[in-house]
Amino acid sequence: MTSTFLSARSLSKRYGAGIALNNVDLDIHPGESVAIMGASGSGKTTLLHTLAGITSPDSGSVNYEGTDVTGLNETQRSKLRREAFGFVFQSGLLIPELTAIENVALALMLNGVPRRDAEAQSLGWLAHLGLAGMENRRIGELSGGQAQRVAIARAQVTGARIVFADEPTGALDSTTSAEVMTALLNATAGRGNTLVLVTHDPTVASRCSRTLFMHDGVLSLAPTSRPAATQAIPGASTGTTFLPQLSQDGEARA
Amino acid sequence: MKSTLSILWMLSRPAPGSKAVMVLPAVAFALVTALLLIVLAGALSFFTNTAADDPTGMAGIYQMLAAFAVSLMVLPMMTLGGSAARLSARRRDERLSTLRLLGGTPALVSVLTIIESTLVAVVGIAAGIVLYAAALPAIALIHFQGQALGLATLWLPGGVLFIAVAALILLAAISAALGLRLVILSPLGVRTRQKAPTVHWLRLALGAGAAVVLYLVMTVATASGSAAIMIVVLCAAFAGGLALLNLMGPFVVKWIATRRLARATTPVRLLAARSILESPKAAWRQVSSLSMTSFIAVVAGTGLAIIASAGDAHNAEDAILYGDMRTGVLITVIVSFLLVASSAGVNQAAAVLDRRELYVSLDRLGMPRPIMESARKRAVMWPVQIVTIGSGVLAAVLLFPLTGLAIIFAPVSVLVIAGILAGGIGLVWLGLAASAPILTAVLREA
Repeated sequence: MTSTFLSARSLSKRYGAGIALNNVDLDIHPGESVAIMGASGSGKTTLLHTLAGITSPDSGSVNYEGTDVTGLNETQRSKLRREAFGFVFQSGLLIPELTAIENVALALMLNGVPRRDAEAQSLGWLAHLGLAGMENRRIGELSGGQAQRVAIARAQVTGARIVFADEPTGALDSTTSAEVMTALLNATAGRGNTLVLVTHDPTVASRCSRTLFMHDGVLSLAPTSRPAATQAIPGASTGTTFLPQLSQDGEARA
Repeated sequence: MKSTLSILWMLSRPAPGSKAVMVLPAVAFALVTALLLIVLAGALSFFTNTAADDPTGMAGIYQMLAAFAVSLMVLPMMTLGGSAARLSARRRDERLSTLRLLGGTPALVSVLTIIESTLVAVVGIAAGIVLYAAALPAIALIHFQGQALGLATLWLPGGVLFIAVAALILLAAISAALGLRLVILSPLGVRTRQKAPTVHWLRLALGAGAAVVLYLVMTVATASGSAAIMIVVLCAAFAGGLALLNLMGPFVVKWIATRRLARATTPVRLLAARSILESPKAAWRQVSSLSMTSFIAVVAGTGLAIIASAGDAHNAEDAILYGDMRTGVLITVIVSFLLVASSAGVNQAAAVLDRRELYVSLDRLGMPRPIMESARKRAVMWPVQIVTIGSGVLAAVLLFPLTGLAIIFAPVSVLVIAGILAGGIGLVWLGLAASAPILTAVLREA
């Protein structure tokens, strides 16, 4: 096992009466791709946001390469996200009035890279992701899958060693979803970088090197058998849920 | 109708975080009301005062100028009304789109939005009446026709007040309906209608042609030297110039933004230029009333400066009239800038809410908030500068021989006008700064 470079210890977070994170411990190693699965409200997005320094936990700590992320102030965390992390969101969330290349170059320009250099580097990434010739299209002129690939280019153009992806294929059909996952894995783990993604989709999770499960704020190595999804749907008689019914390992450090 | 009202009642409970969004349109309407009532009171004072004591026979000129000044306020007031209505619609986005999702027809949702933004406007209008009353003692000190206006003449008669308020409520409802045309209320959310930016070069060609014709006509007319012809020239310059500005405005804004995009080296400049290019027409529309203001300031200011410096005022009445016209121009310019500053603030608040998700994602990516703030401020301030300076320069060019004379013989008057325009630009900046808490709130709630 390689050394840890992102680790979380005893993370807890509540939203009112709800527990989003309950004493979560997690170690992430360079070059791996980790999928975090769970039902809606299980705390998986809160975990991703806490690891990425977007949200502060009520207690516990996150350490990235020797830096105590939870001890940083808002401006320092913003700088860390801009310089060291990459992000891919469900619907891309690219700036609609910018072209594909400008969206990617902006990530570099925010770090002080001159526009000409930023666009040259972005051009390479877009071509690498199969978007050659589409650099000057505005986001509205791209398909959902193409827009996600622009988002992947934006997440990696800065050389971020870790990319956080929140339901990156959530808005795509299954074929496009597979293509985008291939692009995302190639651009990250395929180049020795790390990918942490949150997903509902077992097919997407199965492409990652490790899958973890969240349930009621607790992280485990195996999915819970409690058919939460079935209970949430009134009138559902058959207990089919998207979570595979595996044996429980209970809580464990993931 | 009954069910519409009961749904409205159900939806009227304030959502958390919606306070600023509700307060801004109300404040905007308070300002529109106060300014309208003040301008109206000032204008009407020329109609009520003059019947008995009009030894000079100037009443007609004052009444005409007052009516003209009031008519100039209509466009910026409607712009502000429309912006306020759009913001009201945005405030309700989740609830209204849920209503659409549940099967509410677009008509029902539109009616709800119109009723609701009108109600918000009514609250603002009530506050505006109070503001008008509070401002009167200061307004009463302004001198026209050689004397202070006085409190007595500035109190609007009950009937006029009623008509003005009714007209404002109607304006709010019509603006809400017009504002909704720019918004799509779909079951999946409320968003601004996207239109491909199409600004045809033909505008520029037509505009340039009209400018040449206008210039030739005016040069010939000015050469004749008669005062009556001079007034006709000024009116023609005004009407023709305005038409010209509206024809060319969007194209010029687009052209300048394109050039700035090519040269943009920082994220702020890139974002601002692209934001303008997204819809040069919308960028122009938001500030277009400033073109009128700036144009009037330069045309009227130049005319008055020359008359004053040439000692053309043959008698005391003329001198007072010219002084009063200067006061009137200054008031009109200041009020216009106040209205545009308010609409810019309200529009920006709506724009931030419209793109809430995008701003949140940019914050997560680590984009510093000052960059987001600067980019959206610059996206408005660039067109404001282009419009104000461009219109002023166009007016100066159209009146060229006169402008030159004004600069030589009455530099102080010219400087005052330039100062007022610069102050107005600063006022718009303040209007934008007032919408900053909305972005902070959006990012905090995320």
